[in-house]
Amino acid sequence: MRARTRTLTTGVLAAALVAAGCSPTTDSGGGGDEKTKTQTGSVSYEAADNQGPAKAVDGAARGGTLTVMQNSDFEHLDPARNYVNVQQVTGGLIYRALNGYKEDGTGKLLLVGDLATNPGKDVNKDCKVWEFTLREGVKYEDGSPVTSKDVAYGIARSFASNLNEGPHYIQQWLYPGGAYNAKYQGPYDGGKAVPDGVETPDDRTIRFTFPEAHCDLPYAAALPTSAPVPAAKDTRANYDLRPFSSGPYKVKSYQRDVALELERNPNWDPATDPIRNAYPDAIRVTFGLEQAQIAERLVADAAADQAALSWTDVPPAVLPRTTTAGVVERVVKGPTQYTWVLDINTQRVTDLNVRKALNYAVDKDAALKAIGGQAAGSPATTLMSPTTSGWKKYDVFNAPVTGDKTKVTELLGGKRPKLVLAHSNTELRTQQAEAIRKNLTDMGFDIVMKPIESSSYYDEVGRKDNPYDLYLSGWGSDWPTGSTIIPPVYDGREIVAEGNNNLSYLNEPSVSAEVDRIRNLPAAEQDAGWMALDEKIMREYAPVVPCYYDATYELHGSKVGNAFLSDAFGIISLNGIYVKK
Amino acid sequence: MFRFVVRRLLVAGVTLVVISLVTFGLFFAVPSSPAKVMCGKNCTAADIAQVEQRLGIDQPLPRQYAGFVKGIFVGRTYGSGDFRQDCPAPCLGYSFRNNQPVTEIIAQRLPVTFSIVFGGAVLWLVLGISLGMVSALRRGTVFDRTAIGITLAGASMQVYFFGLILLYLLVYATGLLPFPSYTPLTENPGRWAVGLLLPWMTLGFLNSALYARLSRAQMLETLSEDFVRTARAKGLSARQVHTRHALRAAITPIVTIAGLDIGTSLGGTFITETIFGLQGLGKATVEAVQFLNLPVVMATVLLAAVFIVVANIVVDVLYAVIDPRVRLS
Amino acid sequence: MVKLPEPRSGESPYLRVKDLRVRFDTEDGVVRAVDGVSFSVERGRTLGIVGESGSGKSVTSLAILGLHNAKRAAISGEISVGGRQLVGMPEEEVRRLRGRDMAMIFQDPLSALHPYYTVGRQIAEAYRVHHPRAGKREARGRAVDMLGRVGIPQPGKRFDQYPHEFSGGMRQRAMIAMALVNDPDLLIADEPTTALDVTVQAQILDLLEDLQGEFRSAIILITHDLGVVSQVADDVLVMYGGRAVEHGSVEQVLRRPQHPYTWGLLSSVPSLHGDADADLVPIKGNPPSLINLPSGCAFHPRCRYADRNGDRSRTEVPELRPAGEAGHLVACHLPADERTRLYQQDIAQVGVAQ
Repeated sequence: MRARTRTLTTGVLAAALVAAGCSPTTDSGGGGDEKTKTQTGSVSYEAADNQGPAKAVDGAARGGTLTVMQNSDFEHLDPARNYVNVQQVTGGLIYRALNGYKEDGTGKLLLVGDLATNPGKDVNKDCKVWEFTLREGVKYEDGSPVTSKDVAYGIARSFASNLNEGPHYIQQWLYPGGAYNAKYQGPYDGGKAVPDGVETPDDRTIRFTFPEAHCDLPYAAALPTSAPVPAAKDTRANYDLRPFSSGPYKVKSYQRDVALELERNPNWDPATDPIRNAYPDAIRVTFGLEQAQIAERLVADAAADQAALSWTDVPPAVLPRTTTAGVVERVVKGPTQYTWVLDINTQRVTDLNVRKALNYAVDKDAALKAIGGQAAGSPATTLMSPTTSGWKKYDVFNAPVTGDKTKVTELLGGKRPKLVLAHSNTELRTQQAEAIRKNLTDMGFDIVMKPIESSSYYDEVGRKDNPYDLYLSGWGSDWPTGSTIIPPVYDGREIVAEGNNNLSYLNEPSVSAEVDRIRNLPAAEQDAGWMALDEKIMREYAPVVPCYYDATYELHGSKVGNAFLSDAFGIISLNGIYVKK
Repeated sequence: MFRFVVRRLLVAGVTLVVISLVTFGLFFAVPSSPAKVMCGKNCTAADIAQVEQRLGIDQPLPRQYAGFVKGIFVGRTYGSGDFRQDCPAPCLGYSFRNNQPVTEIIAQRLPVTFSIVFGGAVLWLVLGISLGMVSALRRGTVFDRTAIGITLAGASMQVYFFGLILLYLLVYATGLLPFPSYTPLTENPGRWAVGLLLPWMTLGFLNSALYARLSRAQMLETLSEDFVRTARAKGLSARQVHTRHALRAAITPIVTIAGLDIGTSLGGTFITETIFGLQGLGKATVEAVQFLNLPVVMATVLLAAVFIVVANIVVDVLYAVIDPRVRLS
Repeated sequence: MVKLPEPRSGESPYLRVKDLRVRFDTEDGVVRAVDGVSFSVERGRTLGIVGESGSGKSVTSLAILGLHNAKRAAISGEISVGGRQLVGMPEEEVRRLRGRDMAMIFQDPLSALHPYYTVGRQIAEAYRVHHPRAGKREARGRAVDMLGRVGIPQPGKRFDQYPHEFSGGMRQRAMIAMALVNDPDLLIADEPTTALDVTVQAQILDLLEDLQGEFRSAIILITHDLGVVSQVADDVLVMYGGRAVEHGSVEQVLRRPQHPYTWGLLSSVPSLHGDADADLVPIKGNPPSLINLPSGCAFHPRCRYADRNGDRSRTEVPELRPAGEAGHLVACHLPADERTRLYQQDIAQVGVAQ
């Protein structure tokens, strides 16, 4: 499996995507403190969950125009190229994938069939052959029926090198070993219509046959590459501008860098859709405003902006104005799928006591304050984020959030280790690294700062023989299971010369053995297995200091109803949203 | 004059070639690859190579430049097979970021910047010059001192400061004006004007400060000229002396500066566009640079250069029209 | 309502200036640019005002035309033009006289003409401002006519040319045409020939003389050039430090000068008729500061004879008093006979412009 990305940090692409399955249980005392959540997210084959129409939202009414204010235009809307959460939530209004996430704002998140009648049938119970049956009555914007051939075509075209920006799990699983499109480059220029391992015995059935077991397929099938594209409607590079609609909305106009306007697809039948309520008559996504402008406008809540929201985080400067009555109830906040850790290069820092001392030493509060405080995240003690399926809070060290100097002194035993702290050279990351340096120096370490050009930060620290001891990194997965976190980031067998995701370079046979054991457990037991391994790694090896869980902090106008944070995407969901009269 | 313009245009052509070469060179001197930026998440080396090929940046530099030049004059073809895209002349290529034709981006962005600049310029010229002239004529009075004070404040303020204050006072706090937006003039002149009022006011006030000071100084200088005394000696009224004789002479250097100012601004008013969330050329340029979006960078940089060059020629011609002593050669 | 031209007074002199004082308040102090000057000019006669720069001669002429900024210059005394008292007259009324009853020819026609307008247009404008009923064509005709009168060839063509397209002499002729376009009764020419070469100078002076004969204007000729004065003036006023130091007919002042300053002026001018080898004697020292005018006779620091009266020259401002001949006045403490003696002894043989 290819690694999911570390983003949100560097370069110009602030692309955070993911499907994460967390269901915060409503805690009577804490009221949504993610540390107290336990995850119950799962793949549901229940008929009740998989049947349309979506359950009506109390008090919701059809009609109105919802505005989403965004900083910059989407890069891609073409389902083959769509790999960013804001694009996926928007794309999800226009086209439907085989599977989708059903959420209602109460914390219950289920993976269910979207185009498919259920999340996929594991034909031989070995996770190698998967079959999906399409719902009856699903139609495109021109009234023609959606067929499994169109789904197959959509997957086929995602192999084209010209459309290579999307997620490629299914593609890689169909052609394992080497690059996913080395052997098959899509249906263009005389290529085969369908990749190997994809069959469509009839118009409503699609079957995948993989050489290896892939029990995560239902999750991979929720990514937009499984959305149907009729070959006749494929405008190739220009499909980005106007994907052909199979969902509740179709593209009315799309002026790049200015606005995308969606209007109803009259041929969408709510009875076929278990996920979407599609209350607004129109959705308008506007581009080009600065983060602060968006926040100011939503705080001001002028008449024109009352039916608006944004997926852009409120910047620190505007945060104080979001705590007053009239605004605070319009804040939508919560954790995303990213956990930020301070990696300790275990090849260089081999003394476990020093690594433990670091875990007692780091002032997580200071590290967070440097980037915006509470709105930016909350202190972490685990490797996986609270949005991960089966997540449970644990804390091996039980240190105060600002550190425990007594413990540090005790563990260091009179030594003063000299460590190199590498950081990305953006303003924010430099501030943060400076806070960490000051904190660690106070705690009894000698810290040397090493700034790295932001665009090559992960290349640098991803080199096995890198000359740094400490560096901060964030990891988010494309769906909410431990299998997308622990193996790529902590299994020593994944370590290569360059481009590593295992940035602590932890290489322990006992961890690898556990990874193999958990992978062979029945699906239902895997979540608990990954969580146990998470704790074991921290308790026995302390290869990183878990710093903080990334958070999002968004605003919406006073006429927006049922705005809640999607656990699957980490931003406000649009599926059940409505405009108040 | 015809020969003058032709010759200046030839020089301008050479200038543009040099600018395009320098931009090209600088772009490739940057260590990051645009392919890495465009490729998105989870890019493998193979993915990046594919993107590089698609964008054409795997080619040797001279060939890329030749392709760029060819595109402008005769058009060019991008991609091959099913992904073939014919880009007719004048072809400035496609945005790396979203495959939009660059000519389309320009066509979309230019009217925004034009509207901001022309509206603002009318305001700052009318306001600035009249304030400066009246100040000069009432030198030393309360009006003059107040005007100098205000213009000093204006000249020392920045767009991002003053603009944000206006935005806060007129939009966020009171809602007197809607948040700025661009509606094409041809579509709805009323909304066009209302949507651009804030940037106009901001640019108008800040730049008028400069022009007021400039025209005051110019006017004072002109008023001490012999020919103004001659005009008075003829028995002309004060108004005739000021408007017909002094103003015309005082305005000449202002025309030069205004022409160059407007020419420069047309290349993009990035800060103004950013503060008011308007999608003009300036924002397009800065974003393109951030995204290493070469075709857009090339087009916007060259366009900005064209505006400056043309503004220079226009100013020179205007100068010759105003001042009969100037011979264009 | 059309205001009829006011009847021009037949009494002479046409211009009478009495005890004129012009004062500027500056940051450095009070500048007494003109300090009690009196003179008069009859119609058909020419008064030459002579002096170094800063002597107050230009300030005097601008005061007559009312061209000083009322806010910056304090003017007192009397200026009577054709019987009208100009000091204290509302600006609007003075404006009506300017260019019509009294006109001015400026020193440097290149800077005095507006560079952006054609010569013809500027002349026509001067006409139309006082003939509001005159159409464009009439004004043009008048301007072309005037250009011809001042000796500019092809005036119809020249009308449409710009000042920079004229030669220096032609420009000055145009300037004169502009000044005369309304037949003024009083013409003030401020160094009209300074910027020109000698042959052109002579032509311009001839022209002025001819035109005076034709229009019977009263002319004030301001110059530092005694040669010019001797050529065209009837009377001469010598100014120093804002005051008149000698006043009389050309004959009196140039042939029998009474003031040491006038002597100095005469000695520093080469004579066309005198001994070409004779040395020119410049006046030593610099013109006085008008803010800190020397006490007593303003000329005393530069005067060779200042000590001959004890302290008088340093303490007492000499009044303009009859110098002997009728109409010849001089402001000098030296006794008349001593002045005559000194002149004969020290100056006359040196050679004087005559």
